[in-house]
Amino acid sequence: MKGVYIIKRLLTSLAAFCISVTIMFILLRLMPGDYITMYLETIYRYAPPDVVEAFNHVYSFDRPVLEQYLLYLMDAFQGNWGYSLIYKVPVLTVIGEKLVWTMVILVPATALAILAGIGIGAYSGWKRGSKVDIALMNGMIFVRAIPSYWLALMILIIFGYYLNLFPLGGYVDTSALTSGIDPLDVAKHAVLPILTLFLFSVTGTYYLMRNSMLMTAGEDYIITARAKGLDEMTILRKHAMKNAMLPMVTMVTLDCAGMITGSIFVETIFSWPGLGMLTYKALLFRDLPLLQGILLIDTLLIIVANITADLIYPLIDPRVQVGDGV
Amino acid sequence: MTVSRKIILAASLGIILTYCAVAILAPMIAPYDPHAITGAPLSPPDREHPLGTNDLAQDIFSRLIWGTRATLLIGFLGAAIAVVLGTGIGIVSGYYGGMIDEAIMRIIDVAMTIPIFPLLLILTTFFRPGIYVIAVLMGLLGSFQGVRLIRSQVLSLAVADFVTGTKALGARDSYIMGRHILPNVLPLAGVKFVFSAQHFMLIGIGLGFLGIGDPSVVDWGQMINRASQNGAIILGLWWWLIPPGLAVTLISLALAWLGYACEDEINPRLRLLRV
Amino acid sequence: MDKALLEIRGLKVGFPTPDGLVRASDTVDLDIYPHETLGLIGETGSGKTVLSMAILRLLQPNTIIKGEIRYRGRDLLSLPEDEMRKVRGREIGVVLQNSGTSLNPVYTVGDQIAEAITLHQGLKRSSAWHRAVELLDAVRIPDPVRMARGYPHQFSGGMQERVLIAMALACNPSFLIADEPTKGLDAVTKREIIDLFREVNRDRSVLFITHDIEAARNLATRVAVIYAGEIIELGNSGVVLSEPAHPYTRGLLESLPERGMRPIPGSAPSLITPPSGCRFSPRCRCAAEDCKSEHPGLVEVGPGHYARCMLYDRG
Repeated sequence: MKGVYIIKRLLTSLAAFCISVTIMFILLRLMPGDYITMYLETIYRYAPPDVVEAFNHVYSFDRPVLEQYLLYLMDAFQGNWGYSLIYKVPVLTVIGEKLVWTMVILVPATALAILAGIGIGAYSGWKRGSKVDIALMNGMIFVRAIPSYWLALMILIIFGYYLNLFPLGGYVDTSALTSGIDPLDVAKHAVLPILTLFLFSVTGTYYLMRNSMLMTAGEDYIITARAKGLDEMTILRKHAMKNAMLPMVTMVTLDCAGMITGSIFVETIFSWPGLGMLTYKALLFRDLPLLQGILLIDTLLIIVANITADLIYPLIDPRVQVGDGV
Repeated sequence: MTVSRKIILAASLGIILTYCAVAILAPMIAPYDPHAITGAPLSPPDREHPLGTNDLAQDIFSRLIWGTRATLLIGFLGAAIAVVLGTGIGIVSGYYGGMIDEAIMRIIDVAMTIPIFPLLLILTTFFRPGIYVIAVLMGLLGSFQGVRLIRSQVLSLAVADFVTGTKALGARDSYIMGRHILPNVLPLAGVKFVFSAQHFMLIGIGLGFLGIGDPSVVDWGQMINRASQNGAIILGLWWWLIPPGLAVTLISLALAWLGYACEDEINPRLRLLRV
Repeated sequence: MDKALLEIRGLKVGFPTPDGLVRASDTVDLDIYPHETLGLIGETGSGKTVLSMAILRLLQPNTIIKGEIRYRGRDLLSLPEDEMRKVRGREIGVVLQNSGTSLNPVYTVGDQIAEAITLHQGLKRSSAWHRAVELLDAVRIPDPVRMARGYPHQFSGGMQERVLIAMALACNPSFLIADEPTKGLDAVTKREIIDLFREVNRDRSVLFITHDIEAARNLATRVAVIYAGEIIELGNSGVVLSEPAHPYTRGLLESLPERGMRPIPGSAPSLITPPSGCRFSPRCRCAAEDCKSEHPGLVEVGPGHYARCMLYDRG
């Protein structure tokens, strides 16, 4: 039973991945002009024909389209995602490096956002309509309405420039050139980006948790708990929280996956050398292989997040078995 | 509806309508042509230029006004497409159920694993589309979420008694879907429209901020981008940097308030004790 | 006659809604004596559950409650919240409606019962667990040791009902409220639950809320019939359920399958704007002119038998 489900899931994920790869392939073919024109815009006119031929051969442009597609597909699966135009190294390598740096700010921000969002959202939902709830809700709506790039800019200006508390960008001071990377220095640089990312994602978690709690608070078993003589805080903590958090798991795992691209604005403004910044550079320089790679990584992350959510949920909800079509 | 709810609704609608008016009346309100060179570059606000000028000596105030058009267009057009598509597919999928529903949901499942934002980025980089195309693209890619939402409501409606009754009278499927299911789904679709509009506006401006998007159109995102790139932070060119950001935030807020207020009205979650 | 365990005097419960004030209980006077089972019979929407919730103060915060509810001499409605919490579960137990949704799906059945025990009796977890298993056994759940570790969704409707009963009895309260315990159960399970209650009710006073007349007949010593938020008949169950005084009660009995299944015409009245005069008059076969304008009081029609009807309240 479980095995069949897992296989089905993997197959769907495989299909999703293939489709992403296919879309990329089609995009290449549909490009106005041909591939070479995109790559070697200026040199093309000056490239001697045998260079052009060699180029075509290396990139398999001289083979029938279907064969190209299959080769492309195979490459994608093997991690052979081509070479970055900007960095001249394998796409996967450069993505891997930058991904680490994104994690440095993303993981703390997301973790904090989840904890804070769950805590505050639960309380807000439990005390629906109270002054605290209304204040929090309006506050969160306000923060969420601010575009992330604007928020980042404002934080940079206020804390970095006017209050001069934190560095204006980058991940290390120039001192790193001589004395190497100091973790404390990196931490200091990371504060503002983490703050921005946190502010942006906590609103989402808060909203979801509050909604979840609103539904849980109205359930019959909460009345049962009151009828037993339990006090409100205990009921919130023991009975309501656990039930309200169940739908959160799926939401949060999926949210995590989308955060990578969400960080593009934050990283660009704070000059933080992570995946977001990489994406920006790739866009600027139209580094197609790199962009493809980023798209694929993102797809992979979403797929992994989906499967993780599916597998975790049955572990925490006793009513659900793996494969219940959650 | 409580008084405070009414105030919020009125305020947000007022703001949205003001923006619409500004967008429509832009040629008449803006003192200068947004692309024209008028006087000295990077000059602070004065009587001639209420918000100063940018690096190309263009009047920022005029650009701010003209920028409303791009923002509203992307937001509303994109949202309209997303909601119409999403609702349409959702109704069909939920109403017919069975194989059609399965097939559609499978496709949506796979489609949703593809990250929309990176795809949008790549598409806009390589096609350098005008803002209409961007709006359409966003609408298309953004419709998937709506399908799920609408479909779940339609599922419960499709088996409701009044639908079975109408079927028993011999009504055609399209009639039932249009006359009976659609009106019931409209409130939900309406709320989705408001939130989608907000979302797309933010993304649209974001694209401008990243330097993608239509360069021929005045775009608040581009303004912010150019401002920060020209050292607005260091040089303290607040009149260039801040107004576009505020403009976006305000319309975004108005839409959010509107959306939440409507959502609360539609989904009463207060559970009345059974008597 | 001993002093009443529970005395309800002039209870009015109202819910403010956008459409007006819902008068779920309109001046209810009721007494429940030690070791008696009082059956409370009424249709859906008559105000039965509201009554039970009011006793334990489990209604929504914006509910308007007036009157007195004296339990062992103390007015429950004027107790501070932390005192009320000591009453809930320990002195007064309740078996809520809808057993399926009244149990927390993410905790084991044993845990939920044990929780009541640890709360009021301060036992350690292991002793509380043992007691929970004992209680499951007392409500006749087979293999209680294993079942205590089960989750609510793994239990059938009848078993969930028993779990709720066990939970209500956990601290051996002297007063139990049972809200429609046989609702939604098949005939066989219904009989089993009724049997169980026969045992349970022996040692305590019970307010047995139901619309199942058979259950009331089997378990209740006295019955009260509630209609549109008012008590309209009260008396010995044997008498009321065979020779009812009030036309509504008569109608209820006649609507039973074995008595001919003749439903009462019309539908339950609005609690926001109840009918003037006698609230049952719009649907009553014997309604006369004064029924529509005069509001009858609850008068004695036999020894310990009361009815609220103009038939008995004319001059």
